[in-house]
Parts: sequence; C-alpha cells; structure tokens
Amino acid sequence: MKFTALFVLTVLLVLFLGPYFSYPYLMGVIVILAYLMASNGTASFFASGLAMGLVWLGKAISISIETGSSLPDKMAILMGMEQSNLLWVATGVLGFLLGGFSGLTGALLKNLSKPKRPQGMYRY
Amino acid sequence: MKYISFAIALIITISLGVALSLQFGSIPPLGKLLDPNHGFWQNAYSEDQLAKEEIKLSGLSSSVIIQYDENLIPHIFAQNELDLYRAQGYVTAQNRLWQMEFQTMAAAGRISEIVGSMAIDLDRMTRRKGMPFAAEQGIQFLENTDPETFKLVQAYADGVNQYIESLTDARMPIEYKILNYRPEKWSPYKSLLLLKYMADMLVGDRDLEYTNLHTILGPELLDKLFPLFPEENDPVIEADKTWDFTPLQVTKPEGVVYPNDSIFVKTMPQPEPGVGSNNWAVAGSKSASGNPILANDPHLSLNLPSLWYAMQLTTPNHSVKGATLPGALGIISGFNENIAWGVTNATRDTRDWYAITFKNDDRTEYLYNDQWIQSTFRIEEIKVKGEASYFDTVVYTHHGPVVYDQSFRAERQDVNFALKWTAHLPSNEQKTFLLLNKGKSHEDYIAALDHYTSPAQNFVFASQSGDIAMKVQGRFPLKWEGQGKFLMDGNDPKMEWKDFIPIEHNAATLNPTRGFVSSANQHSVDPSYPYYVFDNSFEHYRNRRLNQRLAEMNQITIADMMELQFDNFHLHAFEALPVMMNYIQADSLINAGVEHVSYLKDLADWNFFTFPNQTAPTLFHLWWRYLHRSVWEDLRKSELPVVLPNNYQTVKLLANEPNSSLFDKKTTGIIETAKDHVMASFDSMIVQVKKMEQDKGDYTWANQKNTTIQHLVPNFKSFSYEGVYTGGGAGILNATSERHGASWRMVVELGEEPEAFGIYPGGQSGNPGSKYYDSFLKKWANGEYVNFKLKKMENSQTSLFSTTLKP
Repeated sequence: MKFTALFVLTVLLVLFLGPYFSYPYLMGVIVILAYLMASNGTASFFASGLAMGLVWLGKAISISIETGSSLPDKMAILMGMEQSNLLWVATGVLGFLLGGFSGLTGALLKNLSKPKRPQGMYRY
Repeated sequence: MKYISFAIALIITISLGVALSLQFGSIPPLGKLLDPNHGFWQNAYSEDQLAKEEIKLSGLSSSVIIQYDENLIPHIFAQNELDLYRAQGYVTAQNRLWQMEFQTMAAAGRISEIVGSMAIDLDRMTRRKGMPFAAEQGIQFLENTDPETFKLVQAYADGVNQYIESLTDARMPIEYKILNYRPEKWSPYKSLLLLKYMADMLVGDRDLEYTNLHTILGPELLDKLFPLFPEENDPVIEADKTWDFTPLQVTKPEGVVYPNDSIFVKTMPQPEPGVGSNNWAVAGSKSASGNPILANDPHLSLNLPSLWYAMQLTTPNHSVKGATLPGALGIISGFNENIAWGVTNATRDTRDWYAITFKNDDRTEYLYNDQWIQSTFRIEEIKVKGEASYFDTVVYTHHGPVVYDQSFRAERQDVNFALKWTAHLPSNEQKTFLLLNKGKSHEDYIAALDHYTSPAQNFVFASQSGDIAMKVQGRFPLKWEGQGKFLMDGNDPKMEWKDFIPIEHNAATLNPTRGFVSSANQHSVDPSYPYYVFDNSFEHYRNRRLNQRLAEMNQITIADMMELQFDNFHLHAFEALPVMMNYIQADSLINAGVEHVSYLKDLADWNFFTFPNQTAPTLFHLWWRYLHRSVWEDLRKSELPVVLPNNYQTVKLLANEPNSSLFDKKTTGIIETAKDHVMASFDSMIVQVKKMEQDKGDYTWANQKNTTIQHLVPNFKSFSYEGVYTGGGAGILNATSERHGASWRMVVELGEEPEAFGIYPGGQSGNPGSKYYDSFLKKWANGEYVNFKLKKMENSQTSLFSTTLKP
C-alpha cells in the first residue's frame, strides 16, 4: 500500500513540478516524501526510482513522438550511441537512479528516528 | 548499523546529484542534458510549436508585429526605427543566440573560455591582431560621432538582453547545454566585434611570405611570377573607364631598402584561395522586362547555424528584406521598394607589417625616425575553462600591435613585427547598412558608402529608377608602388602610410555603356587607375566567365540570373587541360589504346562543366593539384613561409615557356621541363583515382569534393552535413568547394514592385533539433530559391505564426 502511494505521489511530483524545478530539487522533495511515507528502504527505492524513471522515459518518448525531430538521432551519434532509442533508456535509467536513491535516503532517514524495539530480559 | 546505511545512501544520492550536474573533460553534465524537462529533449521542438501570440518587450513605444512565413522568415512591422531594431535584436536572439554570441567570442579571442586551453593560441592570435582593440575604438567613435546610430545599436542590444533574461533552462540553445555555459549580456560592443569578425574573415596579406620570396627569387623573377596585373585583366570597374578626378600624388622614396633576412615566423591562416563572391546588375536595356536585375552570392565558409539570417524589416517609412548578420543591425545584402544592393570582397592589401626595434628587453621604448618612442602595453587576460587565466602582454606601437615576437610564433629574439590595418581605424560600417536599408536612389547609396571603411567591398547597386552602379568601397591607404608588399622598417618614416585615397576617388561606375556591372573579387581596376592597387589573392577566372556571359546575354530574366549564379563552367580547366593533354600527347595515347585510356577519354570528352555526377572534374582536379605541387616543389619545400604562384600564372608558364628554368628541380641531376611535370603528375593522378575508386566506390565530382556544411563546433559532427550533392568548385561561378561556397544567393528585379528570390545553405533556426535548421539546404544544393517578395502586413492566418511584441 505504502509502495503504491509513494509511487503515485512521486509520479505526480515529477510530472507536475518537473517542468519548473531542476532534478536536484526534485530529489530533495522525493527524500522528504519517502521520509513522510515511512516505508522500508527497498520499497522506497523501487517506488521512487520506478516513478521518476518512468516519468522521464515517458516524457522523452512523448517529446520524440510529438516533435518528430531528428535531434535524438543527432544526440545519440554525438554521444557515441548507435540508436537514439538508447537515449530513451539512458534517460529512464538516470531518472530511476536519481529517484531511487532519493527515496532510499528518505526512508533510511525515517528509520533513524524510529524507536529501538525492546529486546532481552524485559521482553514479554 | 542503520546510521551507516543512511550515510551510504545519503552519500550516493548527493554524489549522483552533483556528479550528473558537472562536466568531466569533454563529457557534458549528463543529468542536466538528459533531464527531459530542461535538457536536450526540449530542443526537439521547432519554433512554430513554441510560438506565442504575445510577448512583453519593455522599451517599445508601440506594439511590434512579427509575422513568420512558411520558411520561418520573420517580417517585422514596427512604427519607428528604435522599436524596429529592438525587435530585430529580440527576434534574432530567439533564433540564433548561441551563434551570435559564439562568433563575437571568437572575434574577442575568448574561445578558451568555452573549450579550454586548446584554443589559447587562437585567442592570442585574435587579440594580438587587435580585434578587441579595434572594436573598442569603434564603439568610442560611434558614441562620440554618431549618437543616433549608437542609440539604435543600444536598442538592438536591449532586445537581445531581454530575450536572454527571459530564457528558461528548457529553451536554452543546445550548444550551451552540451558545452555547459550560459549566455552573457549582449552589448553594442559585441555588435561591432561582429563586424570586425567579418573584416578578419575576409582580409588577408602575404607581406611576410613575399619578403621571403623577394630573398629567394629576386625582384625580377618575383615580378614575373606575381605581376601587378594579369595578361587578361578583366577588372571590376570596366577597363575603358575614364577617371574624372585629379589624383593625390605620392612618389616612391629614394633608397628604399627591403629586409633581406629570412623570416621564420609561423604566419597566420589566410582566406581560402579560389573562393570569393559574385555580384552583378544588368540594366533594363539588357533585361526582358526592361527592369534592372541585381544578383549577389557572397562565398564564405559553409557553416551551421548559417552565417546569414533572412528578415524583412518594415516601418511606415521603409520596407527592406534580405540577409542579416545575426548580431548586426539591418539588412546586409538585400533590397527595399526602391533599391537593391549586394557585396563582394574587394581584396586589397590593407594590412602591412613593420619590423620594430626595441631599446631593450622590457620593450617600453622603440626606435622611430632614430628616436626612442614610448610603447604602450595591453595585458590580455585569456580566461581558460577549468584552468587559471592565461595572461598575454601585447605591445602597441603607433603602427599597431606587435603580433609576432619571441613569445608568439617566432623563435628569434629580434623578431618584433607590428601590424598596421585599416580595421583598427575608427569607423562606422553599421551606419552604411542602416542608410542602405532606407535608401531610395544612387545618391543615397553613395552617401551610405561614405561611412564604410573595412573590410573593403565591391558594392553593387540597382534602382527602380533604372540606375545600375558599382563602387569599390573601403578606406585605402595612399601607397607608393610596392609599399606594403614586403615587411617594412618600422624605424623609417618613409615607410609610413602618408594619407588615404579620398573616398570620391575610389573606383566606381554608374550606368556603363556595356549595360552591366559586375565583380568577382578580381582586380578592381585596370592599370590606368592613378593609384597603386595590390593584393595577392585577386580572382582570375570567375570574373572572366561572368563578364563573358553577361556581355553575350540579352533579354535577361530572373531565371537566367539564377542559372548564372549556379553556373558550373570550369574556365581554369578549359584553359589548362588542352595544354596538359598536349604535353602527354593524349590523342596518340587514346588511339594506341594504352592502359588508363578510359581516364584520358573521359578528359578528352569533358564539356568543362562540374556537375556532381561527372567524373572528369575529379580527374582534372587531382591532375592539376599534383602538377601545381610538382612545378613549385622547390618553393613548397622551402623551410620559410612563402606563397606559391597562382593557377593563372602557372598555366601561362606551362603554355608559353615549356623549357623555362623554373621547371628544373634543383634536387635532381637532370633538367626537367614542363612535360616532365605533366607526365609525372598524370601518373600520380591515376594512382590517387584508383585508390579513391577502391575506398569510396567511385570518383564522381561530388564524392571527391565532399561539400560539407559544418557546425561552428567542428566536433559536433552530427549537427553538420557532409557529402552534400552539388556541383561547382573553387574558381567557378558556383564556387562551392569542400568547405566554402555561396553562403547566400539573391536575385532581385526592380520593377514597380520588386521581385526577389533568395536561398542559403541551412535554415532560419539555429537549433539543430528544429525542422527549420536545414530546411533550405536541399534547395540550395539544387540551385533552387525561395520567394523573397516584400510582404505587407496581412491577416495572420496566412503566416506560419504571428507574434505581437507589446510594450
């Protein structure tokens, strides 16, 4: 449940704030979001990563289709890639890594403030 | 444990965020670049997809309407000139911001700021040539002597700056994103730098090379191989022109001594030989419609974004259309309702070199007229990307800046060569173009040219009232014969430029009886002109072909003029090949059916045109290249910088003096004649053609020539176009060679309403992602044009889109 909520919220965040803020700001907000959602590290990593990665991938594909521009091909050649499709993948993977590690950081930060579970002889 | 996990995650997150924002060597900041909201993906949109109906532009006195036609050519309708040029600055920046800034940074010697230490040598050369110094002089002159024009230049700069201030990361030109820097504020100084950039691109000199040739060949042989006028001189101003002025007198001082030292400096790059520009105008008496027709095609380096940007600029008082230079005001080559004009480079030696003797190593004093004179120092700080600044001290004498010295391109301590150049003089070229833009008559044209100093141009003119004219305009030093051809003694006052040729004595013609005026970078005048005219790079072929065609043509139409601009006839080959074929007795070889007979037959059957699918031009081109190299091998292999005799003189020598001692190579034991060189170079050509067939599949002219329209950053190969399929070549009217050619073609007929057509190799957009980046390219390569008719403000539904700039 928390996974889905974090995923959806991150998608909305990257989709609507992305045009106005550069990715370091988005990373900061994802950290806060993951902290507030208090999910575990693995879930936060994948929820945030997939959300940002998919939005970036989708945006790159939609711009390519909308414009019909040859720029992705030209950029792919400039960056030593054989196919411009790889640029979509690179954009998606980059979004995944940026979102994923931001989510993980937020989750682990929350983990720091959780009280330690009682252990030992006083445990009933 | 959880603290360690958090710390590791935090470090990875921050490291990713930071590392992807930074540039590592030549790798751009990948995070910024791939961010689909701000990175390169946003540059995939074309201008019509981003169009806005209204934009606020402060400083306007009333609204300005901009209508873009289907080729993204903006038609700006303003109520006054201040608004017009403010809007021109804004619109040009919208489409060409990176290019205009990059070119001015090149002109200011600031490329190292963008690309790093690899450009330090280039930047030092630019600054030592005095380019920023000249622009500073120019801006001061403009501010003090012509505040009206200065206000317009300021308005243009304000328009550019308002665009820069409104620029979001997403809309930033892609080159800034890849090279990881941001645009800085524009200023009137930068507009002047751009005009100096043009001067630097178009002006060359070979004084140091000629000095070495003087030592190697001696004065007689030098004059024979580099005569002041060619045998078949066909000058810009008709040869039978009568000069109706009393010239200023200048006499060669007695006892002039030229340095006979060998000069070992690494001389600066020169304009490419064989390229240049064409312009002409035919009178109504020669045209089918009875109206004058004007044509212009300046040949420059073929670059993307294109050097030119097409525009129409309209106020209630005038409407002008044509090619602008992004960064400069107004139209540079174009027409209005009343007149049309165009430019070609009027090559003339306006750069001279003086050998300076300093008192001691600190170079604070130099010898002039046997007196010690104070020099001044200009400390040039060259900022270098990712490194500490490089400081270069340039010494200025009254002659000009010391370009070559022990710290720059010279090894000997006593080498101190100062450059004197008309581009350093205070001048107001911008005013010329602003006045031409609203000119109505021949008088207005002449008055506009009076402000023009450098680079000297052949200004062609035609008017609706039926006049055609040509004027060779620039500020030319009054020189005695031979002055400035060689390095001069900076101590000797006799070597100084004493005065300038009065501008009303500059060679000009109005309505000549032959019914046309033309120029193709050839000699400006014939020997009857009463002033010394010298340059190394005058054209010898395009001019004769052009004048021959214009003389025999009648009932001329716009289509005929377009055809002439795309004329692929190779006059040099037409004159040289029969001589070469004769030496190898080609007819006998063909009849005997020897090996390689197919190549010989190809050449024998050649019609001397250079269409892209032909193979004979390749055979001739290679054969001639090897022949020229072979004939001048001794000079070529000299350790000194020298200039080689041109194609025209070499053909003359081959044809007229087969046994000249010049053909004998000093390094061999036998005595060579012209025939030996022709035979040897033919064999070399065969080897090369076979190799080409193997490597490239065929040896068609297009394949050999490989015309390339290159992005201003040569490493951005995918933003360039290689192997453009088109004909022509250096020395041909369609002078499209590998990297140079017609950067703009325009034909205008001045009837009641002017009819105009234009094209250039590229497109209106500077954005490689836009569909308008290369939209003219195919048409240009095929010799086609787009309609450039003046437009009246019309319903915006007929435009690609329309934008209103609101105050």
